[in-house]
Amino acid sequence: MIPSIDDRLASVVRALTDIILPALPPEAGLAIEQSQLAIGHLQIIVAQLAAAPAHEQEEADDARALASALLAKGEGGAQTRTALATLKGAVAVEDSARDDRVAIHGAIDALVRATSVDGAAVFRAALGTIIVAHQTPRTIKDRAWFAPMGFDAGH
Amino acid sequence: MATAVDPAWDMEPTCVTAVRGRAERRKMPAYSARKTIDVADALAKFFDTKKPGAAVSGVNRMGGGASKEQFAFALTEGGVSERYVLRMDPLEAITETDRKREFEIMNAVQGLIPAPKPLWMDEDGAIFGRPACIMSFVGGVTKPSDAGLKVSGLGTSLGARLRGQLRDQFMDYLVKLHGLDWRAAALPSFAAPTADPQQPARWSLNYWKQLWKLDGIEPIPIISYAEQWLTDNMPDCHELVMTHCDFRTGNYLFDEATGRITAVLDWEMARIGDFHEDLGWVLMQIFGSFEDGVFRASDLFEREEFIKTYEAKSGRTVNRATLHYFDVMSSWKCYIITAANGMSAARHQHNHQDVLLTFLAAANALFANDLCRLLSSGADA
Repeated sequence: MIPSIDDRLASVVRALTDIILPALPPEAGLAIEQSQLAIGHLQIIVAQLAAAPAHEQEEADDARALASALLAKGEGGAQTRTALATLKGAVAVEDSARDDRVAIHGAIDALVRATSVDGAAVFRAALGTIIVAHQTPRTIKDRAWFAPMGFDAGH
Repeated sequence: MATAVDPAWDMEPTCVTAVRGRAERRKMPAYSARKTIDVADALAKFFDTKKPGAAVSGVNRMGGGASKEQFAFALTEGGVSERYVLRMDPLEAITETDRKREFEIMNAVQGLIPAPKPLWMDEDGAIFGRPACIMSFVGGVTKPSDAGLKVSGLGTSLGARLRGQLRDQFMDYLVKLHGLDWRAAALPSFAAPTADPQQPARWSLNYWKQLWKLDGIEPIPIISYAEQWLTDNMPDCHELVMTHCDFRTGNYLFDEATGRITAVLDWEMARIGDFHEDLGWVLMQIFGSFEDGVFRASDLFEREEFIKTYEAKSGRTVNRATLHYFDVMSSWKCYIITAANGMSAARHQHNHQDVLLTFLAAANALFANDLCRLLSSGADA
């Protein structure tokens, strides 16, 4: 067994909160500010830690779903066809969830660029709709994931 | 013989220098936050030549902000003491800008808009190690004292009294800036995008595209599509004005008792361009507040109220399609700032507050979702 990561991080937060932050002189503004941020950041990481692998797997699954939708509609000239083949290859590879997501998103980025060069008109018209339709629920999930950071209150 | 400009680098010349300089600094070793004692020594050395006999004292790091290192200090000469602010670049920051431009624009708005008076520069960092500017110290706060901890002034709630006191000033200074006669002002580091009506949008777009290319950690489909949409839909600009490009609550100081704005801050992204670019930025949801489901830009104006008040005070007509374009560009820029520029600076340990930059990166989900909303809804979003 390894000592609990939750407990270890919680002890770091407690040391920063109870010992280090109170020991800082009032004129150490940057140190106080960064200690407060470090505490907040660590508390959120502790809360997210157990769910992080599932979140990353869901991101990779969502990337695959978007890629499939683009592959189903994709057509165009040589550059677009090459980009579609690359995307198909990226979808077929199974590595870590993070690597899969990065590879698929990279291939989608190349496809967007290729489509602007020689994508079929019908695909050019559909591309944005497909991406927005798939990315909207994805970004809502990401907003919820990062809601504890406090940027999103009330939106 | 004139040489053809690479279309991808068609941007303001100082922006080309800034992006290429950032790329060159990429391989440098980790940056450490400047120690107050070292800054005090550098200030003393600087003023040995600029103001022989003057004494530097009370050097203190200033809090707040997410971009530059800032220190307040006093300079005493002939028994008279004045307070100043030293603002200097870290190795890399969440924005890549030029201290000389900032100096010039702050100087140009003196007498028109309250702003710190820029006084001295160390343009190439010969004394301070990095480019630096020294300006007058202006008193005031960026948020009410009971607002709690707000990162970089985001999501500040002003309350009814201050909102009532600040909103007309906020709008008046924005309108005054857009009315600045930039052609007559001393702004040698600024260039105007006059080649064609789309060049104002293109200069901005290309600058951020190159920063994304340099700093992007990983692609994300909505950002790829947004970049393509912005490239395909560049609007014509019919009037070139001086824009601030970061005009919002959190970037001005005010006197908490009277509600008087004492200084507009953070001029580093100012450029000659389209006034809609400033309006789109002001209207960003992250810089505003929500109360009972109602959005207020910078916690001062509801969206339509802001647009109509701007039109009434400036005499300009807001083109809704152009504003939509800059709504999209604002969210896209903010994504690049937080997810790419800030994260890259932190990853390379080139900033004095990496933990703030990685914290701010969490806002990128909000910008990505903003882009989905804006790109699905058109100009009515």
